[in-house]
Amino acid sequence: MNAGDDAPRMTFEQALAALDGVVRRLEAGDVGLEEAIGLFEEGRRHLAACRERLAAAQQRIEELTAEDGPSAPPPF
Amino acid sequence: MKTVGARRVWSVTEVTGALARRLEGIPQLWIEAEIHSIGRRGGHVYFTLVDDHQISGTMRAVVWDRLPLPPRDGDLVHVRGDLEFWAARTSIRLRAERIEHAGLGLLLAEVAALRARLEAEGLFAPARKRPLPMLPRRIGLVTSARGAARDDFLRCAWARFPADVLLHDVPVQGPASPDAVARAIAALDAHPQVDVIVVTRGGGPLEDLMGFNSEVVCRAIAAATTPIVSAVGHERDTTLCDLAADLRVSTPTAAAEAVVPDHTALSQRLDGLESTLGRDLGRVRARAEERCGARAAALAAGLRAVHRRSEARLTGTSARLAPALSRLPASRARLVDATADRLGRAGPARVAEAGARLERAAAVLEVLSPRRTLRRGYAILRDDDGRPVTTTAAARAGQELTAELDDGRVRATVTGVER
Repeated sequence: MNAGDDAPRMTFEQALAALDGVVRRLEAGDVGLEEAIGLFEEGRRHLAACRERLAAAQQRIEELTAEDGPSAPPPF
Repeated sequence: MKTVGARRVWSVTEVTGALARRLEGIPQLWIEAEIHSIGRRGGHVYFTLVDDHQISGTMRAVVWDRLPLPPRDGDLVHVRGDLEFWAARTSIRLRAERIEHAGLGLLLAEVAALRARLEAEGLFAPARKRPLPMLPRRIGLVTSARGAARDDFLRCAWARFPADVLLHDVPVQGPASPDAVARAIAALDAHPQVDVIVVTRGGGPLEDLMGFNSEVVCRAIAAATTPIVSAVGHERDTTLCDLAADLRVSTPTAAAEAVVPDHTALSQRLDGLESTLGRDLGRVRARAEERCGARAAALAAGLRAVHRRSEARLTGTSARLAPALSRLPASRARLVDATADRLGRAGPARVAEAGARLERAAAVLEVLSPRRTLRRGYAILRDDDGRPVTTTAAARAGQELTAELDDGRVRATVTGVER
């Protein structure tokens, strides 16, 4: 199993929710410049993570037959 | 029986008696028929067994009430019992001991019994349902590789998003189907990148869908940690697989819509969030620059005032020093001359140093100044009193404002305020 390699720290919706949260806090308008820059950078990281996930999808299909058990070599 | 003239004459009782003797030879038998006109009277349930012809039947109510799934009007049943001839009315009745569902009814009864059992276990409870991921890394698809359901699913899914699909080819009907479907679900559930599983096949007669009504499939779904969408059969066919799944939809196309986001809408949302993020930071920075700018101007004025006072004091001291020196004895005068020399050298040096510091401070202030911001295309809005307008609350429609730009000012009138 290669779960450790493949599992991102956040799922897409977690990253998107975090991004929404950053925007909400910035829009609240009561943050200082330093905090704002920190939030902005955090938002950019979440944005990049989301974009990366979108870009990772490549419209592939792999077909396994009933004979392939769970021990079959991992597809693509 | 008597003879009247040339005629042999039977009494009714003799006829029914003869019939009764003939019927005695018929052993207990199974009859397949539709059951109709079910009614209860006294300790018995009465009904009629119908094909093209019909026979009345009865069953003791205590037996009927213990049937796992009592038949309803129109059900096809197998009934076992004795034919009973009621001579007084010349009627035949089947005295039933067992009644079982047959054909489709048999399958429905099986499904109903399993459904009741699994329901009692809580396998279909709403609390068990897991939410679907917004964007699965990979979609596990359990269906026939040659089925129309596969094509429908992929066509719809890929029209929305270039999703990656891992298809587990299984027989979707026949005796091998239940185990194969259950194994495929378990295998895809164990795959680290499969975030959602879709189990699907097209519509068909109930006997073809029975694999998806099997206990082994329901248990595989319940055991999986990955959310599962079931799209089996047509709208009107609800299978146990549908009930056990986290989401039930009626077609493979609907399943695709449920598990795959719309790529265009999602990209637009991210673009929108990106520009909002930049705009928000810009606003915070502009506000901070403005605050810095106001303080920088005051600071620069303060520094200049200090510089001017220092110069004035130095000049004044020198002027007073010269007459005083001339009144001193020569020996002292030499000493004072040396001191004055030092002073003369030190004074300008200190002034020069202060000047240099002032220059550096001015350079820093220039960086912080709102002027630089103005040069980048921003403007400072001021009201008639010269106060900066930083919030929409400070502006009203029709108000005259001055927009301060890098190289001058623009008079502007507020035509509207949006909050």
